[in-house]
Order: sequence, then C-alpha cells, then structure tokens
Amino acid sequence: SVKQYVVKKFLGLISSQNIPVYLIDPLVLGLIDKDIEQIRSTSDGPRPECKYFCAPRDFTTFALLDKTWKHEVDLFRTAEKMGFQWLKILHKDPRLDGMDDLSGTEIPLHYIFKLASHAIHLVVFYERSGHYLWHGPLRLKQHMDRKFVPFRKLHFGRYSGAYEKPELLPVSIDDLKVQIPQNPSSFLEEIPHSRFLECRYREARAFFQLYPDDVSLDAVEFRKKAKSLLHLAALTLNNLGVKFWLSSGTCLGWYRQCSIIPYSKDVDLGIFIRDYKADIIPAFQNAGLPLKHKFGKVEDSLELSFQGEGEIKLDIFFFYEEDDHIWNGGTQAKSGKKFKYLFPKFTLCWTEFVELKVHVPCETLQYVEANYGPDWKVPVKTWDWKSSPSNVQDNGVWPVEEWDEVIQIY
Amino acid sequence: MEEWNGSPASKPHKKRSWYLAWKYKLMNQRALRKLCQTGAVLFLLVTVIVNIKLILDTRRAAYEEEEESAQEYDDEMLDMEVPKQPANTKKVLDVEVYSSRSKVYVAVDGTTVLEDDAREQGRGIHVIVLNQATGHVMAKRVFDTYSPHEDEAMVLFLNMVARGRILIFTIKDEGSFHLKDTAKNLLKSLGSQVAPFLSWRDMWTFVGKKGGEVYGEKHAKSPALSTWGDPVLLKTEVHLTSLEDAECRWPNTELNRRRKTFCSKVEGYGSVCSCKDPTPIEFNPEPLKNNKVFDVPVAVIAGNRPNYLYRMLRSLLSAQGVNPEMITVFIDGYYEEPMDVVELFGLAGIQHTPISIKNARVSQHYKASLTATFNLFPEAKFAVVLEEDLDISVDFFSFLSQSIYLLEEDESLYCISAWNDQGYEHTAEDPSLLYRVETMPGLGWVLRKSLYKEELEPKWPTPEKLWDWDMWMRMPEQRKGRECIIPDVSRSYHFGIVGLNMNGYFHEAYFKKHKFNTVPNVQLKNVESLKKDAYEIEIHRLLGEAEVLDHSKNPCEDSFVPDTEGKVYVMFIKMEQEADFTTWTQLAKCLHIWDLDVRGNHKGLWRLFRKKNHFLVVGVPASPYSSKKPPSVTPIYMEPPAKEEGAAAAPAVPAAEQT
Repeated sequence: SVKQYVVKKFLGLISSQNIPVYLIDPLVLGLIDKDIEQIRSTSDGPRPECKYFCAPRDFTTFALLDKTWKHEVDLFRTAEKMGFQWLKILHKDPRLDGMDDLSGTEIPLHYIFKLASHAIHLVVFYERSGHYLWHGPLRLKQHMDRKFVPFRKLHFGRYSGAYEKPELLPVSIDDLKVQIPQNPSSFLEEIPHSRFLECRYREARAFFQLYPDDVSLDAVEFRKKAKSLLHLAALTLNNLGVKFWLSSGTCLGWYRQCSIIPYSKDVDLGIFIRDYKADIIPAFQNAGLPLKHKFGKVEDSLELSFQGEGEIKLDIFFFYEEDDHIWNGGTQAKSGKKFKYLFPKFTLCWTEFVELKVHVPCETLQYVEANYGPDWKVPVKTWDWKSSPSNVQDNGVWPVEEWDEVIQIY
Repeated sequence: MEEWNGSPASKPHKKRSWYLAWKYKLMNQRALRKLCQTGAVLFLLVTVIVNIKLILDTRRAAYEEEEESAQEYDDEMLDMEVPKQPANTKKVLDVEVYSSRSKVYVAVDGTTVLEDDAREQGRGIHVIVLNQATGHVMAKRVFDTYSPHEDEAMVLFLNMVARGRILIFTIKDEGSFHLKDTAKNLLKSLGSQVAPFLSWRDMWTFVGKKGGEVYGEKHAKSPALSTWGDPVLLKTEVHLTSLEDAECRWPNTELNRRRKTFCSKVEGYGSVCSCKDPTPIEFNPEPLKNNKVFDVPVAVIAGNRPNYLYRMLRSLLSAQGVNPEMITVFIDGYYEEPMDVVELFGLAGIQHTPISIKNARVSQHYKASLTATFNLFPEAKFAVVLEEDLDISVDFFSFLSQSIYLLEEDESLYCISAWNDQGYEHTAEDPSLLYRVETMPGLGWVLRKSLYKEELEPKWPTPEKLWDWDMWMRMPEQRKGRECIIPDVSRSYHFGIVGLNMNGYFHEAYFKKHKFNTVPNVQLKNVESLKKDAYEIEIHRLLGEAEVLDHSKNPCEDSFVPDTEGKVYVMFIKMEQEADFTTWTQLAKCLHIWDLDVRGNHKGLWRLFRKKNHFLVVGVPASPYSSKKPPSVTPIYMEPPAKEEGAAAAPAVPAAEQT
C-alpha cells in the first residue's frame, strides 16, 4: 500500500541521517496496542499481511526529540532526492518566552513530508523545566501553502501539548523497524488531555511595570518555601494518581504574574470530588505535612488544610460538578456557617509553573474572574474569604450535631 | 565583563538628506571665506579680533544648529528607516567620503555607513570594507595611527582582507604621527599616491579595490603645525562585479555553506575566508573518556566584540570533550556580526535587548543568560559560564570532568573556576594541583543550578542597582562562607584588552603574564582531598612538611627562597584579624601578583609557587594555621607606602576589577 511504502521511505530517510524518531500516530498506535503483548514477545518474524501501517488514514505521525537533531539542510536535500515534498513550521522558542527581551533563533516545531497521497507528520518535542515534553502548535504563516495537506485532520498541532517523557521500545511491525512508546495505551490516554497553556509572560511583565515586584528577603523566602510546598504537594498527589489544579490565589498568581504572589500566605489546589481518595490525608502526613483542619464531608463542601514548613498552609478545595456550574464549599469554624463559591464549567489544561508541570483551568480568565471579579488585575492585600470573592454565596449552617464531623481543627 | 563597542546593528544605515549634503558644502565655502578674512588681518588688527570673534561665534552657532538638526533627523527617521539594500541589478555605487578634523562620514548610495563626529574619540584612519558584488559593508575599523602600534594592527587587518574587496579610507583629526613606512607602503601598493607623503594633520580620503583599480583619492595638506588641513569630500563611483566573481569556489558541503554565508558578509577574520586554503571551522577534538561534563550546558556571554568571540569559540571548540550541542552564545544587543560568528561555527546564539547601563547592563545580561540556560536545558544540574574574551585550555573539560563531582558532594563549595588569580608564569607550576579559595575568580567557571535557582536568581540585583554581578556574587550575603575550587595553573586565559574595566596598561600588568595550561589530559592529583574536611588534613600535612624560611631576609628579594626545586616552604606574615591584609597586599605587590584586592586566600593562607617550590604564606595570628609558627619566628610586617607616594606610583587604572 502507498501508506506503508511512504512510511518505509521515510524511515529510510531518517535512518540515513541518524535521526531517532518514534511513532506517536494515534491510529496506528491504537492498533498496535491491541496486540501489544504479542508484539513485545515475538521476535521479528516476517508476517505476510500489512496490519498496522496499511490502515486507512491521511497521515502517519512521528515524534522527534530536539536534542537528537542537527544538520537539517542535509535531511531536506536527501528528502527531496527521494521525492518528498516538505514543509517546516518554525516558532519562537517558548522556553525563552518568560525572559525579558531575549530573542533566540526560531525553533522548528513541525515538519511535514509528503509523498504521493500520503504524508508524514513529524512533531518535534522539547524537554522543559518540570520534567516533561512539550510540542508546539502548528500555525501556518502568510506565505505558506494552505493546501499542502489537509491540516485540520492532523492529530497534533491544534494546540500545544505536554506529555510525560515515554520510555521507548524498538519493535518490528509490518516488516518495518520502528520505536514506539513502551506503554502505548498510557500514551494514547494522554493525548486528549494534553493541551498546554503557556503562561502569559507579556501580560505578567506589564503587571510588574505597574506594580513592581516585591524582592525583599521575606518575599524571596516565602516564594522559595511556597515553591517547595507546591512541589511536595504535586509529588504526593501524582503518586496517588489524583488529578489537581492550581486554584484561588495560586492560580491568580500564575495567570496574572507568572509567579507566586508573595503576600498570599498559602498554596491553593483544587480537586474534583470524584477524584477524592481517603489516602490523601495519610499521604500528606507521611510527606511531613500534618492535617491542620478538615471542613465538610465528601458529600458536601469538603476542604482540607495541611501545615507546610514555616507557617505556609496548603489548602485543598474539593469541587462539585453540577449541570451548568461547578462549586466548592467553605466553612466558618466558630459559627458553623457554610459558604459556596460558584464557577462556570471548565476543563483542565497543562501549564508550567515554578518548574512544575501542573494543571490549571483551561478557561482561566472565567475562573479567575468568577473568583476575583473584574478587577482581578489589581493587587489586593486584605482579603476576606467569606466576603471578598465575587462568587461567594451563603449556604446555610451545618447542623450542630454534625459539627464534630464537619469542623475538625488540629 | 566589559562594555560592548560599536553601535547596534539594528540601525546601521541612515539616509542622508540633500539638506545635510548642502550643509557640508556650505562648510567648505565657509572655510574659504575664512581664508580671505585671514588676509584682512594684515590691514586692520582691531577688525581682525572683532572678525575672528564673529566668525568663531557664527561657526559655533552653525555647528550647534547642525548638530541639533541632525539629532532631530535621527529621531524622526528611527522608526521608518529600512536598511537600504543595493539592488542586485545595479552596477554602480555612488560613494561619498568626508575627512576633517572633527568629523568623518562615508555614504554609499546615499546611505550613511559611517558617521563619527563625537568629541575626543575616533581619531585616526577609519577603514570600511565593502563587498564588491553587493556593496554591503563587511567591516568597519578605526586605527588610531596617531598612537604607536596601531599602524601595525591596520597592516594586519588590511592583509586579511580578501582581494577584490572595496576599501574606503578616511582620516579624522590626525592619522599620520605613528603611521610608519610599512603601513605607508601597503597603502601605496593599494594604489594611493598620497599615502607615502601623509603628514601631520593632513586630511585624506581614498577609495580603491584591493589588488585592483583606484576609484578616487583626495588630500588636504595641513598648512602649519597648529592647524589642520581643510576638510575634504571625495565623491566617486564604484563598479560592482558579479556575485560569482566575489565568491570562492569551495566544495558544496554543509560546513562550506556556512563559511560562504559568513565570508560574504564580514571581513577581517583571516584565513577562514581564504579561497585556496581556508582554515577549518570544525575541529573534532578527541572525545574524553568518561566525560562527566558532556551534558553540562555551556553559556558564552558576549557583547559586540566579534573578533574576540571568534578567537574564543575556536579555542572552546578545540578543547577535548567539548559538546557543541550544549553551547549557547548570549549576545548583549542586536549585533549582527557576533551572530554571524556564532552561525559560522554552527552554534546556537541568543540576542538580548540591553537593559540598563554599563555594569548593571552586564549584570542583567548575565542573569538573562543564566536563566535562559537552565530553561533550555532543564535537566542540567550545572552550567559552565564563559566570556567572549577567554581562551579555553585544551584540557578545560577534562579538568571539569574530574572535579565536578565535588560540587555535588560538598555543600561548602560555591563554584569551580578555571582561573587562578595568583597563577602567574612565576607563581604557578603544577597543572595537576587544585586549591580551595574563599574568593570567586570567575573567568570560566561552573555554577550549580540549585545555587542559582534557589539563592541567586530570586535576589539578583535589579537593573537600577549599578552593581557588578561578580562583585555582588562575592559579597558575604551571597557567598555565605563557601569556597571555590581553582587549579594552580589556569585553564582559561583572559586576552581581552578593550572593555569597560580594561585598558592596555591594566591588561599588561595583571593579565598578560598569567600562566595557561597547554598540556592535554592532565590527571588531577588527589581530587578527593579538596573536600572540606579532607582539605584541612592536607593543609596540615603540607605545613608539617614545610620548611620555615629565614624571616630576617627581605621576602621581596629573590634570595628569600633558596635555589631549590620541589620543596615546600612557609613564611608567616602579620595579619591582626581576618580582614587585615596590609602585609599581604605589600607582599603581593612586590611579588608582582594580583594586589588590587585580596584573592586566593583560604583561612589566612595563600598557596603559590616560587622558583618551582611550593610557597605557603600564613597570616598570624588571624589564621587558624598560626599554630604552626615556631615561637622563635616573628611574622613579617610590611608597611604600606606613604599615601602621597602611593598615589604617585599607582598608575591610572580603572576600578580594581577583573571580570
């Protein structure tokens, strides 16, 4: 088939240039995943049929790690000699985006090699701070051929994406030797949730122009501690497999200024109640973060607070999904009063924050605006969690007989 | 680090208006008028005085007006200017060259490619090299041939320029005083008729093709010692050749494509652009076995000194164990030529919009470069930091590969540096020997990521603080008592002489005679003993073995140290408390080592070599090693020179600062 032929040609091209690539095509990997045990165990005996690379599709997608990559010119020359047409998508280097006024050479994000009716999409992955791989969005420039391939059908490039660094496995399928992620199914699961948001560095710079950053020793010290608390919390929750995101002040800090707000005094995370696990409390305690208080219960308004090093608190709010909104609860210890904070529905995206790959709501602006109102851009140092948020609502009072359960302070 | 010279490449061309051209013409006429008026002097002395005063006043006024209007013009044009590219189809270039006492300019096809009317600078012969096919400026230099040896530099430069290039010369102020025969003959061989007779305060312009025709020459003799020749304006046409004629026919390889791009843009890099026998731009030095620094990013901090950068990168890429993939050159400003050099070697370069001024600018550039380095190489635990004015020793990476684990295992370390402040030709001896010192030498060093990310980056001096980054790093608040590892024989060599903190005298006195290791694959001795506690044991062993020198002799005299080899000697100097360096400074001065501030000490102990013997200096009683002093020995005290005398003897050096 043409597809197999083009893939074979491409692999020949790549190996002639000593460029290690690996297969990330969702369709082909999906087929491979069904037979993964068999493929892993059998040594490469010739199979007559073309089972994987002949499946109907317009593209085959491969990945390339930027580190392993050089001498582009020779690659293109050889590709042309072999009959490929190619297209290259360049972009500013996002790893330098956060930096004042640096301009590096543009970096390649995507390559497309076309031969006959099939095309190879080569996605370049970059390693970034926070131990993850990043790929960029595919955006065509003015002069580019919009009909080079049906771009809309590409699996990668609509947004930028963040992935775990996969272990690779060399396999032989359909008579071709390729590398695939060792665990295709977990890679495939990552794809739909891979969307990555870059921090808004330009806006953050503008913010600091207006409100110069606090560089006092206290602020430096707080940020250092908050950062290590966030790293510890992320490690603990990731080990449990509990998905979480930056919430409240921590989220605002990321969105508004790409840094921790030095006077925020705590670190705030959000978790969907459906992801709640009873292990969370002991896991944090084992990590050296004792429980400070627990408000509410799994069925209603759950909120956990852990004591970090040096008076910094880790607040975990659990979010409850309704048909048209999402909310989390608050409890006033002395009165038993309940509060409700409403948010428009949101999904989760990856971002990088203080050298960590973490989730934030993709619809961050709505999330922040719901919480902090239209003036979220103006720093406010006096904040009352019961009255300041724009999305707070009274939610009754806990029945006195439940207080022992829903108001626990340590 | 030093100041970057030259103007940003983003605005190299400025369109000259008919208005300015008219102004220059007017100035010539005014000079004529001045001549006539001088004649009138003979008739009426009184009128003369009045007249001269009047003329001077109007001239000054005219100058000021002109400067102002030129300024306005600049500002207006800044946003709209588009560098004018001579169209390929055009065969003729109009060239205008102006030479005068206070101003020179060169315009090519109406585009100003050189304009210098700054006071007190730019004296001498300005040289511009144009590409004979495109008309692009390939090099711009000024040689202050009023001063000695600059003519030799000019000869060197002109010899490097490829045949066929177009050369433009113009004198500002004075260019003949130290223009020797060799240089004059070279200019003559380029076709200049005037050059052999150029004399004091003559004005001169010349346009010619190297090894080819002369397009024009103009000259104005100075009438008297105290006056300058009249300004001259040369207008001429230059015929362009075809692109093929301007290029070499090198085999079509990836390397030569880079070479071709480079050589069509810039001049003055010698044989790298030679058609017949170009010097290599890829070096493939021997790889290092078990290289522990292969994956350590290397940040090269650069400004606008492309020739320095070229020399630096050559030595870096020739060092054994180098990994070009890990090198990033950070250029402070949008300068084209340094970027051309970076691309010639196929390396990654990043340009940085300048923030703040002078030292603070360098400091901000450092911060941005370090942050970017750790962003680009997120897995790195260390970074090597280099500057554009360093030569790198052939075993630089081998030295680091053997010692870098110390940074991982010993928290009392601040850095590893390739430079020994006290390692001069006469005071350094053993390339396998390492020291611990309380100072931070810089000049090729390794930075731990955790130190940068957790301590330095968050409180790095902000742009409004005009601090030197290295002085700041040496402050106790940052260093916190930690030490650096240095070699006895430096693995870097500081060759830069032009810069913010540098001048010729300063370099000659403090850097030129520095020892630099040229031996490959040096096996470092007992690296483990450099760890905090082990080092104390080592020092005590050394002191136990050391022979106490005769303290009745003058330590400055050569005879202070016996004529032996390979022995260990110790002397004791007076050091009342930790910060008392009175005697040390005087000793350093007479030993001709670094004396501008205290360097290379470890707990009141200095280690160096004299006459191939290890020579230890202990400050008593401040140093904990004072206990090794025999009771009979009185520590030597050396008095600082009386203040006035000191001031007279001290040369006019800039801030005692070395970067």
